[in-house]
Amino acid sequence: MIKKARELKVEASILINRYRFIFYPLYFLAIALFIYFVVYKILLVNVLNIEFNYKLNYAIFFTNYIEATRQSYVDLYVLGVITTIKISIISLVVAMSLGTVLAIFRLSNVKVLDIFAKSYIEFIRNTPLLIQIFFWYFGTDPLLPKVFTTWLKAQSNVEFAYGVIALSIYTSAFIAEEIRAGIQSIPKEQMEASRAQGFSFLQAMRLVILPQAIRIVIPPLISQSLNLTKYSSLVMSIGVVELMASSRFLFGGTARIFEALSVTTIIYLSLSLAISFALNQYNKYFLSYTRY
Amino acid sequence: MKKLLVVALALVMVVAIFACEKAPAPEPAPVGDGGDTIVAPVTISTIEAIKERGVLRAGVKDSVVPFGFVGEKERELVGFDVDICRYIAKKLKVKVKFTAVTSANRIQMLTDGQVDILAATMTHKIERDEVIDFSITYFMDGQKLLVPKDSEIASIDDLAGLKVGSVKGSTSEKNVKEAQPDCEVISFEGYPEAFLALKQGKVVAMTTDSVILVGLMGSDDNPEDWKIVGDFFSSEPYGLGLPNNDSEWRDFVNFTLMEMWRNGEWKKIYDKWLGEDTKYYMPLSWEIELWP
Amino acid sequence: MSHARTQKLTRIILKAATVVILLLLLLSEILFSSITLFFKSMITVIFTYPYGVIYNNLMFFLFGLRGKIGGLTLTILVAAVSLLLAFIAGIIFGLMRNSRRWWLSYPAIGYIELVRSVPLILVIFWFCFFPPGLSETLKSVGRVYYGIFALIAFTGAYIAEIVRAGILSVSKGQMEASRSSGLTHTQAMIYIILPQALKNMIPSLVNQFVSLIKDTSLLWFVGVMEFTSTIFATSNREVNTTVTMGLYFFAAVVYFLVCYPLTASSRKLEKKLGVGER
Repeated sequence: MIKKARELKVEASILINRYRFIFYPLYFLAIALFIYFVVYKILLVNVLNIEFNYKLNYAIFFTNYIEATRQSYVDLYVLGVITTIKISIISLVVAMSLGTVLAIFRLSNVKVLDIFAKSYIEFIRNTPLLIQIFFWYFGTDPLLPKVFTTWLKAQSNVEFAYGVIALSIYTSAFIAEEIRAGIQSIPKEQMEASRAQGFSFLQAMRLVILPQAIRIVIPPLISQSLNLTKYSSLVMSIGVVELMASSRFLFGGTARIFEALSVTTIIYLSLSLAISFALNQYNKYFLSYTRY
Repeated sequence: MKKLLVVALALVMVVAIFACEKAPAPEPAPVGDGGDTIVAPVTISTIEAIKERGVLRAGVKDSVVPFGFVGEKERELVGFDVDICRYIAKKLKVKVKFTAVTSANRIQMLTDGQVDILAATMTHKIERDEVIDFSITYFMDGQKLLVPKDSEIASIDDLAGLKVGSVKGSTSEKNVKEAQPDCEVISFEGYPEAFLALKQGKVVAMTTDSVILVGLMGSDDNPEDWKIVGDFFSSEPYGLGLPNNDSEWRDFVNFTLMEMWRNGEWKKIYDKWLGEDTKYYMPLSWEIELWP
Repeated sequence: MSHARTQKLTRIILKAATVVILLLLLLSEILFSSITLFFKSMITVIFTYPYGVIYNNLMFFLFGLRGKIGGLTLTILVAAVSLLLAFIAGIIFGLMRNSRRWWLSYPAIGYIELVRSVPLILVIFWFCFFPPGLSETLKSVGRVYYGIFALIAFTGAYIAEIVRAGILSVSKGQMEASRSSGLTHTQAMIYIILPQALKNMIPSLVNQFVSLIKDTSLLWFVGVMEFTSTIFATSNREVNTTVTMGLYFFAAVVYFLVCYPLTASSRKLEKKLGVGER
């Protein structure tokens, strides 16, 4: 009888141990209660005399932003999220191709190309994106040919196009450095050995060097694409209505800071998690052959 | 991934508990009428706080010519609003400290108590009156359109399907969206940026209160290249923003404004910034509200 | 291969080559003309640019409004103060992140993941707009301080990751050796592991400082008079495309002159310490 009870006890402890992550939220609840009552109620309110008077009102999202078209703030947020995703994807594609070209320039034996790529990368990396966005949008008019600018202005979303230009130029400098570092981290002897084996230069690149380089380059590229998604919030300054801009419309119009910013935070958080999850899965399954 | 899930769950729970705890938060105790035994919370009125501090903290715009902008020679904020605040401070016999505000954050700054008075080209609106108080109208204006000289746009009706520049968080942005839902409104951070976009042809018109348009036109090298068109499609009486429910301070500001009008000080400031000798000439066509 | 077929092949190749060369010529014409146009307009701008704008406002750009700290001085000051405090926060959270106790590591993971997945501008809005509305005491704090807090909260998470990587880069044998020679875990961490990790972290910290200097430009959104704001205020007074272009380029060059020496030195250090090697 005693033996059986002990076995049961052991089994229960194993079960508890296995599913202990279920209890973690409860621990957090305890911490939150502690913070709420001890830190907030006793320390802040009674000792320091700071009391928060803020009543939440999430119903504000369903009020109309523009009365004439009955567009609500929810519609505005949806529009914002779609624009953020669109601008990130387009900029990422452009930045990837630009970055690859720059990396090839950097690694090539032609001195002029190397110097050009190096100065481009260094200049772009060491100046703030905000200044760059403003420079491309407001400052490039006298420099570009007139035909091009008139064509560009006739398009329906010029701001979006300029946003893509600024974001992809900024990100391409970072991506180029990552790709260059990835390719350079493969020892030179590998190339020499594969050439000695009878591979041509392109074959050696394709079959030996690049597969290894990709494995090194992928993680930093994931973080760069995450950075790009985050930095895309800055294009609101030239009038693109993306997620950050819609949240600014909300708290500019209704002075509901907490509601606007909390929803925006959750959306950005889930966007980032989704991107990193998807890219990690891609990395895991589709590039697994690169693990020799 | 499991860890992240747990963290996310915990965050949700923390937010939930804070939300639940906060929702039935007690209302601040009502202030008892005179003769009650309840001791009303002693609030220092703004005017006493200013005198005690010896400094009037005024929120003004920093990029609206000629209301509040950074003067090139002075390296200080100057303009019509700035001079009004200087006069009020002189009347109070205190120093004045200026803080630059934007359309998006000005009401927040006043309700937060970071400034005592807002002279920031702010329209007196009933919905704004819920959170702050306004003085009497110290400047009367309305919203119009600024277009290039050879433009065919004559009124707001011609804007359907075209792009209009405006500023985030301003009333003019909302007004134009309500008055002409078919046009595409591009929201910038400040009026000069919108004007620059208009100059480069990225928007076909810009809209805001006519005096700001006059100011922008005057700061251009060739003011005759631009014209202001259309009827007022909104009326914009400017009021000084004041903290809510502080009648002593509001009365003081109102009486000071009327005194300024009576002794000609107001006209002097008007002539200094918007008179015939300036680049921003706008004939005076209305009178301040005078109480006998 | 028969002779006729070789000839046919040659002819096709020749035709294709001609087409390609013609296309290239056409393209080169467009390319050449656009490049010359670009340089021509650039030279025109360089020679006709009103440099007085930059010269007259130089004091404003460097020191901001009269009687206040502003301009480039404020930018560097804010970046330096934030880096210093974020470094402390980063070490604390990095150590917490590495801890084996879940109640230490989970809050750290939550904080780091949360901050690293939202844009900086959102953090700045949280800090600059939300707390002042809550209570009377918090209202009197200046906007710059909220901005600095936001930068600390943001950079702290990134530095925590750097600290974690730095600690992991020190070989496990060090810990084992110091434990077996009688030190406790904490002592070993403080006296043996951290000093070595810190040395490895220096290049990344310098890089973080560079991105902080760049990130202070976002304080323009909340009205702090740092370098970018002074540039924008000036360009907003002179509403002129050419002047604006020059001012933005000037700003970019100034940022580059401040940041590039730091980047270059961090790269040199990286090489010297051999951190980058795998």
